[in-house]
Amino acid sequence: MGRLRNVAALLVVCACVAAIVVYQSDRPAAARPNPVVFVPSSGFYDSFSPSVRATLADVYWLMAIQYYGEHVNSDHRLDSLPSMVRLVTTLSPHFTEAYFSGAFAMIDIGRPDIAYGLLKKGFAANPHDWRFPFYLGFFAYTYASNAQRYRVAAQWYAKSARLPGRPDYVPRLAAELATRGGSTQTAIDLWTQVWVNGDKYARQKAVTALDRLLPADKIARERAVAGLQQMVPHALFTQFLADVFQGY
Amino acid sequence: MRRVAAVAVNTFRETIRDRILGVIILFALAMIVASLWLASISLGQEGRMIKDFGLVAISLFGLIVAAFVAASLVRKEVDKRTVFIIFSKPVSRSEFIWGKFLGLAATMFVVLMGMTAFLFALAWIVAHGPQGSLLVAGLLIYLQLLVVMAMTMLFSTLTSAILASVWGICVYAAGQLSHNVLSLSRLGHSGVTHVMSRVVFYVVPNLSAIDVRGAVVGEGAMSHTSILAWSGYLVAYLVVALFAATWIFARKEF
Repeated sequence: MGRLRNVAALLVVCACVAAIVVYQSDRPAAARPNPVVFVPSSGFYDSFSPSVRATLADVYWLMAIQYYGEHVNSDHRLDSLPSMVRLVTTLSPHFTEAYFSGAFAMIDIGRPDIAYGLLKKGFAANPHDWRFPFYLGFFAYTYASNAQRYRVAAQWYAKSARLPGRPDYVPRLAAELATRGGSTQTAIDLWTQVWVNGDKYARQKAVTALDRLLPADKIARERAVAGLQQMVPHALFTQFLADVFQGY
Repeated sequence: MRRVAAVAVNTFRETIRDRILGVIILFALAMIVASLWLASISLGQEGRMIKDFGLVAISLFGLIVAAFVAASLVRKEVDKRTVFIIFSKPVSRSEFIWGKFLGLAATMFVVLMGMTAFLFALAWIVAHGPQGSLLVAGLLIYLQLLVVMAMTMLFSTLTSAILASVWGICVYAAGQLSHNVLSLSRLGHSGVTHVMSRVVFYVVPNLSAIDVRGAVVGEGAMSHTSILAWSGYLVAYLVVALFAATWIFARKEF
């Protein structure tokens, strides 16, 4: 009787192990990626402490990257990506890389308008980061279709040029775009800043551009340059005058 | 004081002999694997992720040690009857509780600082620079866990070790989320839940007040005066919890 019971128990265990092995071997290794995923409203997390919100943002950030990677080269459907990135940046407003990566990912879904909005939101939360107006200028220049794009891009680059840490070429870029956009006075102001803050090379570029933008008539030019006196430090003004009045 | 120190030293030795320091090795292994994994999936944000998830891991590993060891410290002595040997010597019950707490606090310090030092070194390598705020965050997590330990020891004088551990973990969770409990209760119309959430909000220690993980990853700045004030509040809280534990333990019959 006891022997029979042992055999029966062994058979039950073998059957269970076989069932587990069959089930596990048939189990799909990965679920089929769904382009529409549930993304909760950021309002749900409003009452959490900043630390918990930052950790949640990091978790959603990792999820957003996996989501992007799963869909960008397969079905090319990134339906939930905008809400994912919005959630991450709302939970962690100073997570600057999420704005930049998110904005460039929006290009993949043909929505530079969302990217532009995202960068504007980032700039509002991080007003001292020169990269936000720089990229806003880039998006305005690259994706805007209207005739104002030079002027709008120049305005963003001009904002970027005033912020600490920006590369030396940003003021030159802003001034160049303002010149192309036909904003003569803005262009003159920006090129003057380039002259004030720039090195020898930048000053040469600024003098060439200012020569083109300032009135050719000596009296009109003197009047225009007098208006720039406040922008140029007193010690440099004589040098500035000599540069912009070369050949007069 | 010498008697408290003697109990504390013995508790420290006892917990170290229980191989609690193995937690540091477990943490280190988990973080090494996590850093390799995060480097490949975080799109260049491994520095931020390592700091954030590393501090979460320190809190969780520390919580497990704090809740389970603190719950069994006193109970074990009672269940094994070794408490009679201790009380046959000139050691009062309050000295016993304080000694046990301080011994475990010393062990926790070694465990927490071991994990924090490892995370600091790892973040230094990944983020290419020292992250001093991690050390501050580690110390504040230690303070949070001291409060959980004191509460768990208080619970262990009232109930079984396993239930005291569960309650200790609940105190930690509620202490992190007490604001949420209150704001969620406002959404409902039940008077009972509203009152209960208010009780949780006012009774449970506000552990999130000294949680600086957000500041470590760049969300806001650390307010040193606020952190000092809330640290004082938490120290007061753990002193009250320990006095309550000694009061209950002194009236307990074995």
